[in-house]
Amino acid sequence: MSGIDFSDPATIAFLTDALTAAGVSGLEISRPGGQLRIVIATGNEARIDVSATSQPAPAAQPLMTVKAPMAGHFCPGSPLRSPAAGRLPRTVSAADILGFLRVGPVLLPLCAGRAGILTKQLAEPDALVGFGDPLFEIEPQS
Amino acid sequence: MIEIVETGPFNTVQDLGRPGYRDIGVSASGAMDPLAVRIGNILVGNEEGAAAIEVQTFPFSLRFDRRTVFAVTGADGDPLLDALELLSWCAYTAEAGQVLALKHPPTLARAYVSIGGGLDVPSVMGSRSTSLRGSFGGNAGRPLEKGDRIAVGNSTDLAPVPANGLAVIEPAVALREVFPDLVDGALPVRALPGGEHALFPDDGDAFWSQTWKISSRSDRTGYRLSGEPIKPTASIEMRSHGIMPGVIQVPPGGEPIVQMSDANTAGGYPKIAGVIECDLWRLGQARIGSRLRFVRSTHAEARAVEQAVARYVKDVRTTSEMVKRALRAMA
Repeated sequence: MSGIDFSDPATIAFLTDALTAAGVSGLEISRPGGQLRIVIATGNEARIDVSATSQPAPAAQPLMTVKAPMAGHFCPGSPLRSPAAGRLPRTVSAADILGFLRVGPVLLPLCAGRAGILTKQLAEPDALVGFGDPLFEIEPQS
Repeated sequence: MIEIVETGPFNTVQDLGRPGYRDIGVSASGAMDPLAVRIGNILVGNEEGAAAIEVQTFPFSLRFDRRTVFAVTGADGDPLLDALELLSWCAYTAEAGQVLALKHPPTLARAYVSIGGGLDVPSVMGSRSTSLRGSFGGNAGRPLEKGDRIAVGNSTDLAPVPANGLAVIEPAVALREVFPDLVDGALPVRALPGGEHALFPDDGDAFWSQTWKISSRSDRTGYRLSGEPIKPTASIEMRSHGIMPGVIQVPPGGEPIVQMSDANTAGGYPKIAGVIECDLWRLGQARIGSRLRFVRSTHAEARAVEQAVARYVKDVRTTSEMVKRALRAMA
């Protein structure tokens, strides 16, 4: 058992700085006496659902990206669709599963999140991606 | 509560069974595919042995009366939540009033519905499994019927299931190395020579070398196989003795019977072999009319398969909990 006091504001500040410097988005420490959770606010929160963050977009219409909800191996494709449906670009609906993020034997479904035209796949199959990495690009259809 | 909206016959509440009472004539019962129940329960945040629904006749559907975490495991094919197609081997959260529907699976036999908190039916002799023969356990000791309402326990899982679901690489894929695929359309089932193996000529060659078909006279108690009858070199009179799931008996007609989850507790037919425990789930997923071959195994191989399965289950538990915690922390 280490002697670090995780309730000490100085320790928390240090850890927060370290996480920010390392580009790590969060940390959770559970001990018998309590739990410490630090979430670094990036102002560009990546979520499994599509966020409407308008990146300094060259085009007029805002492109949506589906981002990695955490670190893992990128597995594009859906078992619910035939392989032929994997062509790009293609129309997708909000509930469509575009692929998975694999962490060991666990698979996190990656949903389109909104209807549109799936134009790009931004990572290679089985690539190790990090939290918030863009994986797909969708042109919203209004 | 969940309410059964539609069901075929012989769909029951099952957990991992009721071992330890065969000496007083109580079958072990339990899921025919216990690995599917364990993984389903882990996905929804339960203990591995929580009670689930075993669906072996389709279509089947149920309604949730409150927000509920659930997963469908075991059989292939995609379940439907209202009109939305879902993944098997994936935990989701259903809203109150939503209906989960299971269609007939394309190739496998049994689907399992695990519910966050488990099915809260009374535990009888340490298990919530339905004993159809004894008419006790599970949901009032009988198969589910339309209109049945079953209580759901309180979930102790603190980390929520991610909004888009939490899935696993299913055992047949993740454990491909230790569970060989069909060979010429026949399921390889590993077995060890049984107590009366020596009664059969040519080292049991007729048993091991032919492809057997699972006959229509097969159920949770046992699979009756059809094929070229096999005969012992001498007919012997045997007293009844204890048997268990996996035991392969050869009755006088010469077509073997494999004892399954609702196995008889005693029997007097010669035992030619016993299916290794780790292969029973594959047999539980084999459909009537499908074909299988027995492959002579060893205790060492059976142990190695068991250890590989244990590693996979542990990995699923550890990783799924870690993923849920991480997503909650980053939400």
